[in-house]
Amino acid sequence: MPPFASTMPPRNDLIRSQGISPLSDIITIDVGGQLFQTTKQTLALAGPKSLFSQFSQSTHVSLAPLFIDRDPELFSILLSLLRTGNLPSKAKAFDLEDLIAESKFYNVEPLLVNSLSNPSLFDAFNLERSLTLPLNGRDFPSAMATTSFGTLHVAHGSKITSFDWALRRKSTILTQFTAIDSLLAISPTLAAAGATDFSGMQILDLEKGSVKETLCWENVTRSSSTVQAIGSSPDFLLTSFESGRRNSNSIMVYDLQTFSPVTEIAHCEIYGADLDSAIPATKLKWVESHNVVMASGSHSGPSGILGNVKLWDIRSGNVIWELKERVDCFSDITVSDSLSAIFKVGVNSGEVFYTDLRKLGDTDSNPWICLGDKRKVLNVKKEGNGCKIEAHGNQVFCSKGGDVELWSEVAMNSSKKSEDGLPDRVFRRNLMGRAKDIGGSRITNLAFGGSKMFLTRKDQQSVEVWQSSIRGF
Amino acid sequence: MENEIPSSSPSRHPTDRIKLNVGGKLFETTISTMQSGGPDSLLAALSSRHTQDPVFIDRDPEIFSVLLSLLRSGRIPSTAQRFSKQELADEALYYGIESQLRFAMSPPPLSGIDASLVTTIHPASDGLPSTFTAAAGDGSIWIAHGGQISAYDWNLSHTGTIRTHLDDITSIRRILPDVATVGSNSAAGLHFYDFCSASHLGSTHWTDSSDPRIYKARVTSIADSSNQVFASFDCQHRENCILVIDKSTLQIVSEIARQSGSSAKTMVPGKLTWLPDTGVIIGTAVTSGAFGYSGYIRIWDPRANGAVIWETSEPGSGRSSRFGDSFADVDVDVEGSNLFKICSKSGDLAMADLRNLGDDPWVYLKDKNPMMRYTGGAVDSVIHCYRSQVFVGREGALEVWSRVIEKENGIDTENVIGEELYRRNFVDKLEDSERGIIKKIEGGGNRLFVSREDVEGIEVWESSHLSGAVSVV
Repeated sequence: MPPFASTMPPRNDLIRSQGISPLSDIITIDVGGQLFQTTKQTLALAGPKSLFSQFSQSTHVSLAPLFIDRDPELFSILLSLLRTGNLPSKAKAFDLEDLIAESKFYNVEPLLVNSLSNPSLFDAFNLERSLTLPLNGRDFPSAMATTSFGTLHVAHGSKITSFDWALRRKSTILTQFTAIDSLLAISPTLAAAGATDFSGMQILDLEKGSVKETLCWENVTRSSSTVQAIGSSPDFLLTSFESGRRNSNSIMVYDLQTFSPVTEIAHCEIYGADLDSAIPATKLKWVESHNVVMASGSHSGPSGILGNVKLWDIRSGNVIWELKERVDCFSDITVSDSLSAIFKVGVNSGEVFYTDLRKLGDTDSNPWICLGDKRKVLNVKKEGNGCKIEAHGNQVFCSKGGDVELWSEVAMNSSKKSEDGLPDRVFRRNLMGRAKDIGGSRITNLAFGGSKMFLTRKDQQSVEVWQSSIRGF
Repeated sequence: MENEIPSSSPSRHPTDRIKLNVGGKLFETTISTMQSGGPDSLLAALSSRHTQDPVFIDRDPEIFSVLLSLLRSGRIPSTAQRFSKQELADEALYYGIESQLRFAMSPPPLSGIDASLVTTIHPASDGLPSTFTAAAGDGSIWIAHGGQISAYDWNLSHTGTIRTHLDDITSIRRILPDVATVGSNSAAGLHFYDFCSASHLGSTHWTDSSDPRIYKARVTSIADSSNQVFASFDCQHRENCILVIDKSTLQIVSEIARQSGSSAKTMVPGKLTWLPDTGVIIGTAVTSGAFGYSGYIRIWDPRANGAVIWETSEPGSGRSSRFGDSFADVDVDVEGSNLFKICSKSGDLAMADLRNLGDDPWVYLKDKNPMMRYTGGAVDSVIHCYRSQVFVGREGALEVWSRVIEKENGIDTENVIGEELYRRNFVDKLEDSERGIIKKIEGGGNRLFVSREDVEGIEVWESSHLSGAVSVV
């Protein structure tokens, strides 16, 4: 008896649900001279816009089969994809480009995207260094942006190169910036870009290479408004501006569809030597579960690096929680919705810290829990300089030099915790990659999209792609 | 395993025949072939339908033709090479004939004298395996590496990776289909992890309120019976014992074999084996010091409060007929009820019949082949008994001692352990041995898994009936 027999539904249901159908549901299609038979239900899985579902709606079932003048081999691959949800191994005989072109003809490209680049396929433990995407010219990548299904935009110099979800095709556009410091993908063809030395944020159409909109912040001094950071929530586009004279800063909230301003939060005017309010937010992260935006910024002052982290409620414009960083300020900071925690790399210690979003207490006490050597907090070596930290899914990725550390939470049995003397939450680290993958020059950017991780390195005119081995390709 | 090959004699009754329409292609077969997939398979369920029209199944016809010939002939046709193993397994699961496919796809029984390296399994990160377990017996393997556990199924395809709270797993055993139990040299306790939920189920610690020296006991080896787990614990004060743990409740049943650890004769066992025939547990410990190897073999009965049934220690016990040639490693041949030891000085292999242990039970196996004569001094040796063969790793070389069948009926040789019944052969080639010192050998299913010191990945050795002829044209 097969081991899975017990999990199967009763026989009659099985036959009904698993594609063994009455004759009236069977559709015959003649593709390039080869006959295929399938069911209406299978074809309907392709979605209402696809050519497949139009076949199933055609009424002349009993007459001659529908004829489509396309390649039957490619059709059989797409049909297998519909039936099983996975690409068959015969797809390897073709280039992915052929399949994408064919899927565009039948209007079923989302199916292909789903099976190859779905974010749910992202398997942090199984990522391998697999591709390098070269960038033409002599500029080094300065910023990266991804969509959830794996389209990648890379800013290098005054150019933005966009790679499609399959990383097979690219296009490059020229912008007005000399270098882009902040980049955010709004859709596969639309991106928001800004720079710390250029006034205004631009919404760029990456297909046409044109500026769709320029968004500026009207500050009191009537000087230029440079962009320090760009973030987004499902509804809003968030931009951190600083005035050209660097005496005021603010976070503007725009509607993500119309780009009209919605509200302004965190407006600061600096009078005198108030260092803390002079720090503009250089990272904006939306926290969906708490409906707040995390804004963080740091500043190198006479007494070391100072910084602050604030959680803003956009609707009320109030600060929910604020933390001033004086000892071992973050070198980079991120927030994870699924882990409900803020993570930072300390600039002095180079260690990873976390604080639980559900237990944010008063801001006087140190909320950070060190995940490494606590004694290093007070060292002055700046070991964490240049480290990047990003959260994706249930994992936190932290770059240190040329290596990426993967931090994952271990789900511990709660009743046994006290016996083992373990803290409330257990995070453990692994270095990513096999021996041959480890090392390389310093990592400057980390991004995640679809089933892939992208990173750029210092002095390399390329993007490195890490992905888990996916069936089919 | 249902491995009867269905009779392919021509069927005379037309009612025995059944027509199937798979994805537009017609197949005709007999009801008995359809039912050979077992009573719970989808095909057997379909065969009971009495209709004139062919039964329509909305799946890929090409893979179905492979699976149909598997049912007809019991073997996989060469046309299956177009499909990946994973694809065949998924499709067989759909039709409910996975056990047939598993049987046809699994390698022939492992024969050490005719095995070759088929593949090396590389986890995606932290690729140095610290230990592994193949105890499920279906050719699957769970690898512990860098605090993670990666599971590979009977097909050796990666099914998942979980992170444990330990940083260095030094002993692992799969005690239930989804549960691994792990221990570490560097952290206290025995820990249970569930693979489905990727969570920590619980921990077991050795405690004794009357003895303050018993704390932070670490696990050195794990064995299991059908309902119990045996784990040896070692304290920093070298006190040690074996805890018997119930598999269903994860509670300690009893503590046996408590030893002081003050000498080589009482230190913690580094290897535990449970004998299903007699229900006893065999523990062995070997250390190497400035004066050579020393250690013991001891047999406890867990039901009789851990009474010692038999023991021997080397050097020094009268139970070794060879002075100054103490064992370097010991293993138990569970199927054949034999003990095997590898001598540290001479490199000879000796065996003892577990049913007939006396004062000096050892029989030293002679190697007649002058080419193979072992001349080296004491080297790192590991020994593993699997399927009545003895695999020995000597530095990097992998050799096997296998029994020669002398008489066809085997009656004459039954009761005599012949010195000359075993022959020694190398499994590997000279160049294989240069990859590194063999750290662990374990058999599982029809595979032999080998890990080497400071080498990434686990080697998989299999026997094959294919000649592997290489064309030189």
